[in-house]
Parts: sequence; structure tokens; C-alpha cells
Amino acid sequence: MFRKKSIQQVMEVLREPDISKQIVHWKTIEPREAISVPLPDSLHPTIQSALQKRGISSLYIHQLSAYEAALRQESFVAVTPTASGKTLCYNLPVLQEIANNPEARALYLFPTKALAQDQKSEINELIDEMGLDIKSYTYDGDTPANIRQVVRKAGNIVMTNPDMLHAAVLPHHTKWVALFESLKYVVIDELHTYRGVFGSHVANVIRRLQRICNFYGSDPIFICTSATIANPKELAEQLTGNPVTLIDNNGAPAGRKHFLFYNPPVVNKPLNVRRSATLEARNLARLFLENHIQTIVFARSRVRVEILLTYLQELVKKEFGTKSIQGYRGGYLPKQRRAIEKGLRNGEIMGVVSTNALELGVDIGQLHACILTGYPGSIASAWQQAGRAGRRQDESVVIMVASSSPLDQYVIQNPDYFFERSPESARMNPDNLIILVDHLKCAAYELPFQENEKFGNQEIEDVLEFLVDEQVLHKRGKHFYWMNDSFPAHNVSLRSASQENVVIIDQSNVADVKVIGEMDRFSSMTLLHEEAIYLHQGTQYQVEKLDYEEKKAYVREVDVDYFTDANLAVSLNVLEVDKEAKSEQNARAYGDVMVVAKTTIFKKIKFETHDNIGSGPIHLPEEELHTSATWLTFHYENLSEEKLEAGLLGIAHVLRHVAPLFVMCDANDLHVVPQVKAVHNQQPTIFIYDRYPGGIGLSEKVYGSWDTVLDQALSMIEKCPCEKGCPSCTGTLEEGNNSKALAVKLIAQIKGVPHHVDSK
Amino acid sequence: MSIQNKLKRLKKHMVNPVSTEAVPPQSTTQKEYDKTIDHAEYWEKLGAVPYFFEDDYCIIRKVEYPLDQMWGRYRFSEVRDAVSRWQDVKADHPLHAKDLDASQLFFFDTETTGLSGGAGNTIFMLGMSQIKEDHVLVNQFFLPGPGSEVALYHYFLNHVKELRNLVTYNGKSFDWPQVKTRHTLIRDYVPSLPEFGHFDLLHGARRLWKDSLPAVKLSVVEKEILGVNRIHDTPGYLAPMLYFQYCKEGNPSLLEGVFQHNEWDVLSLITLYTHMSRVIQGNGLRTEREIFEAARWFESLNEHERAISFYNEVLQTGSSLHYQSKKSLSLLYKKHNQINTAVQYWHELIKENDLDEEPAIELSKYYEHSIKDYEKALYYAVKAHTIWKGKKRLLKRKEEQERQIFAKRIERLEQRIIQYS
Repeated sequence: MFRKKSIQQVMEVLREPDISKQIVHWKTIEPREAISVPLPDSLHPTIQSALQKRGISSLYIHQLSAYEAALRQESFVAVTPTASGKTLCYNLPVLQEIANNPEARALYLFPTKALAQDQKSEINELIDEMGLDIKSYTYDGDTPANIRQVVRKAGNIVMTNPDMLHAAVLPHHTKWVALFESLKYVVIDELHTYRGVFGSHVANVIRRLQRICNFYGSDPIFICTSATIANPKELAEQLTGNPVTLIDNNGAPAGRKHFLFYNPPVVNKPLNVRRSATLEARNLARLFLENHIQTIVFARSRVRVEILLTYLQELVKKEFGTKSIQGYRGGYLPKQRRAIEKGLRNGEIMGVVSTNALELGVDIGQLHACILTGYPGSIASAWQQAGRAGRRQDESVVIMVASSSPLDQYVIQNPDYFFERSPESARMNPDNLIILVDHLKCAAYELPFQENEKFGNQEIEDVLEFLVDEQVLHKRGKHFYWMNDSFPAHNVSLRSASQENVVIIDQSNVADVKVIGEMDRFSSMTLLHEEAIYLHQGTQYQVEKLDYEEKKAYVREVDVDYFTDANLAVSLNVLEVDKEAKSEQNARAYGDVMVVAKTTIFKKIKFETHDNIGSGPIHLPEEELHTSATWLTFHYENLSEEKLEAGLLGIAHVLRHVAPLFVMCDANDLHVVPQVKAVHNQQPTIFIYDRYPGGIGLSEKVYGSWDTVLDQALSMIEKCPCEKGCPSCTGTLEEGNNSKALAVKLIAQIKGVPHHVDSK
Repeated sequence: MSIQNKLKRLKKHMVNPVSTEAVPPQSTTQKEYDKTIDHAEYWEKLGAVPYFFEDDYCIIRKVEYPLDQMWGRYRFSEVRDAVSRWQDVKADHPLHAKDLDASQLFFFDTETTGLSGGAGNTIFMLGMSQIKEDHVLVNQFFLPGPGSEVALYHYFLNHVKELRNLVTYNGKSFDWPQVKTRHTLIRDYVPSLPEFGHFDLLHGARRLWKDSLPAVKLSVVEKEILGVNRIHDTPGYLAPMLYFQYCKEGNPSLLEGVFQHNEWDVLSLITLYTHMSRVIQGNGLRTEREIFEAARWFESLNEHERAISFYNEVLQTGSSLHYQSKKSLSLLYKKHNQINTAVQYWHELIKENDLDEEPAIELSKYYEHSIKDYEKALYYAVKAHTIWKGKKRLLKRKEEQERQIFAKRIERLEQRIIQYS
């Protein structure tokens, strides 16, 4: 037995040469003092005394600003880092209002059920201290029918999630008259999560909410809180359609934080292949866990989470038992997640391996160490994850372990990019036609539309006429009426493009067949195909049957030493060109495309060595996607088709990382597809398309900036120390072509500048 | 790119695309409401007149039927007798028309544009029938187009506000909440909704006929129980489609079948209420199953006296329900301290049926606790166990639970016997 080391001692270990030579950057973020102000005099006496009873005798400066903005009847967004007391930013104004006017109502929206549950306990403790009769309830899928009626009629504060608001509250607004007539505040917590498709949906749900409020004569003020992003004010205004005041004068204290960039050693010089980030993260995590330092490990995908979980549980099995390390990700059922959150808070759980599900402010108490397996894809998200360590005022350490991907290598070799640049903007497109039409249907179901009525700021006459043609609406006089026997909200899911999830059914025990999780349909194509190894809580399951029609995957527990990885083949057709620009060397365009995706084969990959040990076909129907895309076509000379293809693949490999970086989105939201002969013009073409039907504005942004994007790609390739292309830049090719040189040459040709690299 | 083109392209990604068959040219030309209406002649032929309110109108249709007309197995007038007989029933019952007169009942049904309970589901027809002095009156209030609801509810609430008691089929959880929802949307323009008493016959139909009918839909109950045979009926599920088509084309003759369907519905409710009242009152021709289910209903309402008398009625018929009735009776007698009759029944039950362990368990309890004859108690406990073991069970968990209870009882009795011998 060795003595347990403190976090400071563990950091000494990190400074030892063996490890420290891999640490390419060590940034210490100094502690920050609190800026506090006394409780304002105008604050209702019961709230003052309740706060004092709970040991709060002053406010942080940003909490006061929030309170004052609300008093001025301004909608606002408060940007609040982890553990800065954000809940008071909204609870104070809301409780103040209700204390003065018991009829007033507030609606709290949390992105998940778990957050609503957490916040309910917190505000109820405060309300109990106040001694006033203020009722706050959560309203979600678990709320029993008899309680629902009470919530509708008497809840001063109703805490729910956007999905419930969308499908259960708004379509039944006549049962919520008491709420909508007196709705004073709408609180939107974790604003930064409302981006992309989900954000675009929710912005439309808010438009519907506002229509209904207007109908009942209320005009609520919006209070948002957000983690650090570049554009909180813009996002809040897009989401709520209201002018919003920005509050970012954070006055909360913070402890010293060490932020380390760890680049695994190169194991294959010619290919510039580094040791697996997953294995390195495992070793680093062991260092903390052995010393009883609570640690969270983030991984980028569900599969990585499960692999790391298997490794780490193996490591600590003898000392703590496997239960002390838990996985945490979207596919787990709510009850499992609750148990994990509790275990973390009371210390029974020593380590957690998570996808970005834990970026959200679920209260898991204090963790000392945080390991990011790979760059999470955005600066904002990296800081969110890093915020999980040292929520209180202690010293803490965050280690980011880079993978071999170009993006990771770029970030880790350019620490300034990460530490100096402002975090990304969160983007959404509430006017995406598909999303807009979905919600116009729901809105028309809720209340008829009038001629010339706008939806948010959007003119909708055309869409309403379209829906009349589709026999969904009926126009009579100056009004458009819902004229269909369906319930539109049930057909619209806010969370994903594919509307229905695949349920995962464990049939290992014939007498006790049970559902162990679920997954969206698109992901299921590559993760739940037949013979796939599906990992759940570190246990391996083999998929025996995927019933794609019925959305069910039947799995059985197995014990094998490999995991599976599926290939997705994609074909693209241009349907309509919206914008075009031509030069001598190339043509760029933006418009509508149809993408057909099909899974073809999967590979079996051995644990630890990551060797390919087998493969098999996948028989699943094609998935079609109509979306917006930008594409670049160019002329080429003196290059065999084979070399051309190699060069294109190389560029695409880099663009997959550069383009999301440039438009600031998740790498999964934007896809890159190279074609030697595009179907529509028989020319070499690179497509970049939005991964959501109808597009959410990402590829449009790329269209305007192809030159910049190509420059970035070129610089990334040229800076890479490898010789002929490696996984960190242009990827590797089996044929032995110098894809690096080809890519550089091609980019030069596309851009029409002289080039100096020989293609050999 | 034009929005329209884009919309067409993206249509596949939109959920539930609605079929786009060729749509006939629309006749949405809006009329200035100079107190004339579209298709006035047709409405007149249908016995309907417009009711104007402000700039709008709704359609009111009235139909009269003679009181002595047969509707299924009863005449309409027989509902009067059924209502007045309730006054002799002392027991409490959900269908009890306390202090009411048949003319105070409103047999009510709606036609809607969908089945969901949300704000967007429109009621386009409110239908009701009532017993008048010398005839049955059917009233139908029809929405000539979405947006005319103020006129509709204005008429409905001003002219029908004397109504006290609704008789519906599933109205408690569907029709009336939907009326409330639609009313909420226009509550600033129309009188408030009165409070209603409510007899929902669906609940009773489930109790009485769930086991003897494939489904307890009104159409099935009508045919199988009430002897109402509709010819050329327009099924209720078509009503939304027909209404949508009417809205588009403006031709009210599309709705003839819907008017008729609704009319027949509210008339059948009279016969249904008559029949259900008679079954529960113990009056007239009833099947053994009906008597038996009525007994069970009273039992569940803790009206044991009525329950016992109905069970006894079943016993006298000697039907397949004989055994179950006797068993229920035995347990009721036990509750009411008529233990000797109960014991006699249990003995008889054991003889009649060797697949049911419960009478043996009851006897075992009786001999153990009341008589303290442990030998006999053990005898019946073992007998019950034997019967129980002979049965096949589906639920494993329950089986284990029951097995333990048997084991415990037998062990306890064996110890008692040793103790006292």
C-alpha cells in the first residue's frame, strides 16, 4: 500500500520528466476574489430574512444587476460560469414578484427533467424559509394525473422542459388559463444549450408561447442564464424574439485552476500517429483515482465513454469495486442517471466517464480533476467541461488529452487559439422551413392565424397558403383555421431530425427481457446494426436483430475483445442552385441537395491494439436527407483520376475539422463529401452540407468564405510535421500516394495560386 | 428559390404529409352577411334555419318524433316510466335520477374534427334530444365554418341554459371537456358555462356488457343490446373528413349523413338510458348476465341489500353464472354475519366445482377461527392446497406468494393440532 497523495502532490508527479515532456502547455488560472454587495433594500422582507437564515447576507454584483434589470421590466440574459450562484439571478426577481402579488405566475424551462427536479428542491427550501404560500411544481412526463390538475390551476412557479411545453402545455392551453393570464416571468436556464436544431425548434415553441400569452393578455419578461459563449445576447434575442439586456459582470469567486494540454507520444514517426488519447486518458485518470481524487473523464462519443468505462472499472475493481466508476450519457434511463448523480454528490462514486451530457448544470458537487479525452470540438464546450472541476474555491486540475485528429493537434499546438480567443457563438435558425412549418401547424392548432399575422418576426403568409393547399389549414374570411384530425405536436420532436428513437431491448435473460436504453434512428444505423457490439454501462451486448420498422434493437450480453465500427456511404444530388459565383479556377455554389446515406459494412476492431480483425455487411434501408449545401467545383489538369481522388480525400479530411471550427458548430452538424465526378456536373467537387433537413444556416456561412476556409486548411496541412500525410492532417491512404502533397497542390490549383510542393 | 418550391421539396421531411389529390376549385367567396346564407334552400329542406348573431350565424336544426315511436326495444315514452321508477329505488346509484323528471334529461352528443383533447379540436355539431310534452325533440346546433363559434355557443348557452342533466356516452371525459375547451377560447363573447349534472352511460355499459360484447362502442351496444338497426348509417369516424370537405367545397349535402348519425345517436341514448335504468331497477326483461353484473355493480357501491337480492335472482335461473353468484352471496353473507348460510354455500360450492380453492379456504378459516376445530380446518386447508396445485398459473411471482400462504396456514394448523391434542 502506498500513501494517498493530495492533489498538490499529484501535480508534482505530473511535473516529473516522464509525464511533463508530453505536457505541451501548462496554464495556471489565478484565483478570483468575490465582488459582493449588500442585499437591496427593496427586496421583500420575507426574502431578506429567508436568505439570511440560509447564511446569505450579500449578493454577488451580477445577481444584483439581474435583480435590478427585472425591476426595470427588462428581459435579460445573465452569463454565469459554473458555481457562480446563477439560480438567484432568476429566483430573486420571481419570488419578489410573487411575494408582492400572489397571483403572479412564472414558468421555468430547463433543457432536461433532471435540472428541473434539482431546481425545485432548491427554490422550495428558500420558499419554506420565507414562510409564504408560494407553490412551485415540476411538470413533466412523470407528474401523476391527479397532481397535474393542481399544477395547472395553482402553481405559482411551474418548472418544465421545452418538450413538455411543446407537446403537453401549449396544445392544451385552455386548461392553463390561470397560468397564461398572469404569466409574469419566463425563465430559460442553460440558454447556451438552445442552439442548432434543438434551439431552432425551441425558438418556435417560444413564439407559440408568446402567441398564447397575447391571447390571454399577458406579456412575460424573459430571464435567461447562459454559460460563456460569444453571443449570449444575440442568442437570447433570437430565442425569445425580445430585446434582451446582457449581464456579464460576474462577481463570484473562483479557486486556482491548472489547465494542462497533454499530447500523447508519437508511436509511428512516418505516419505521425500518436498513442491513443483514450489509453493516455486512462493512465492519467488512474493517477487521480488511485489517490482518491474524484475525477470526471469526458469522452467525445458514446462508444468512447463505454470503452473508457470498461478500462477504468477494471483498474479500480480491487480497491473500490466497479460501482465506484460510472458512465453517464444520454442513452441511460432517467433512474440510472439520478442514482449516478446522487452517488457523485455523496462521494460513493469516485469517477465518472461522461459524454457532454454532464456539461449541463446538474448538481454533482465538487470534483477535483477533469480529463478531456480529445478536444470537445468547441472552446465553449471545453470550458464548460473544465468547469466541472473545482466548482468551489479549491485548487483543481484540468487535463486535455489530444487525439491524432487535425483539430486536436491544431488546438494543442496553438494554445493561444484556445486561451485567447473568445468562445464560439451559438447558432440557430428558427426560420428553417421544415422546423417553421412544423411549428406553424402546432400554432394553428392552438389558435387560428389571422391574415397578415407574423410568427415572431417572420412573414408566414406563403407557408399558411401552402398548408391550405395541403389541406391542413382552412381559410375562411381573414382567418386560417386548423382543419385536420391529427394532433400535430405529437409528430414533432424537438431533439432530433429523425422523429423516432430506437429502443434497445436486452434479451439475455429470457424470463426477464427489459429495455436498457434508446438511441436516435440515424445513430442506430451505425451503432445498432446487426452484429454490432453495443456497450452499455461497460457491459458488452451484441445486437442480434435490428427491427428498423418497429424501431427495436434486440441485444444479448456477450464478452468479446473487440468493438465495431460502421461505414456510412453517402451520395449527393444537386436539386436547386440558390447562389453561385464563378472564377477562372473554380465555381462555388449554394443551394438545395439531396443526400442519400447508406451503411455498407462494419469492421471489428480489437481492444487495446485497435487492430482490424474482421468485417461484415450491413443491410439497412437508405436514409434520405434534403438539406442545404455549399459546393466547390474546380478544373484540373495533369492529374490522374486516382491522384485526384487521393488529393480530394485529403482535403475533405482536413475540411471536416476546419469547417466546423470556422462556422463554430459541432463537427456532426456539418458533413464534408468529396466527389471526383459530381453527379450534377461531372466535375471534381467538394460538398459541405447541413446535417438537418432544410439546413440550419451553417453551409451558407461557408459559402461566403471558401477562400478563408481553404487557407486555414492549407495552413493546417503545411504545419503538420508528417511527411506524406497522417491522420492529423490529410489522413492516410493505403496506396502509398503522398496525399499531403496532392492536397496542397490541389488547393493551390483550386485557389489559382502558384504552388511549390512537389507531388513526387 | 421560391418558398413554394422549397416547401414542395421538403415535404417528405415533414411529418404526416397530407395527401394532395386534386382539389376542386374552392368556393371560399365570402358573403356579406345580409341575413342570407349559402345553400339556404338545402338547409330549409333539412329542417334547419340560421341563427344570426352579430356578423355571423350558426345553423339550428330541429326534428320531432312521436313519443310512442319504437326505437329499438322501447318506445321513447318508456323513459318516463324508467325515470319515475328511480324514485322508488332507495339504494344509491350513479344513474339514479333523483327528483328528476324525464323532460329534464338532455341526451347529448357532439361531432368533432378529431379525437385529441387539445385546443385545436373543433366541435362542429352539438346534438341533443329531450322528452317534451307530446313529442321527442332533437336539436342540432351546427357550425357552418370555423370562426362561427361565437354564434354557435351564443345560441347554445342562451337557449338551452335551463338544462340540468346531461346524458352522454363518454361525455364525461370527452364531449364536455371539449365543450369547455372551445368555450374558453371565446369566453369573452359568450355567456359562461352552467354547471351540469352528468350521467355518462359508457361507464355503465362497460360494467354491464364488457364481458358479453366484443366492444362497448355505442354502435355495438345499439345493435346487440338495444335492437336498434341503422340502415345506411355514416360511421362516426368519417365525420371529420366530411366536415373538412364541406368546409372546402361549401356543399352542405355532404353532411347529411353526419346530421343523421348524430340524430340517431342522441335518440339511441334515450333507449339506452331506459334499458340501463330498467336493468338496474330490476324491472322487465333482463339477461342473467345483466342481472349478475347489476348485482356486482351494487356490490361495488356497497349497496349490499340490492346486490344480495339480484344474486339470488340469478341463483334461481340456474345458469352458468350460478356458481359465481353463489360465491359472491356467500361472501356477502359472511360480511353480514349470516355465517351459517355462508358455510352452507361454501360446502355446496365445493361439491359443485373442484377447480376453485377459495370456498375451501373460507371453510378452513371458518373452522380455525370461529369453531376452533383445527382438524377440520386442516382438512380444508389441504383440500384448498390440492385444488390450487392442480391449476396452471401464468404469473410466477404471484404463484410463489400464494404458495407461501398455503404453506403457512397448513403449518400453523398442524402445530395447533399438536398443541391441543
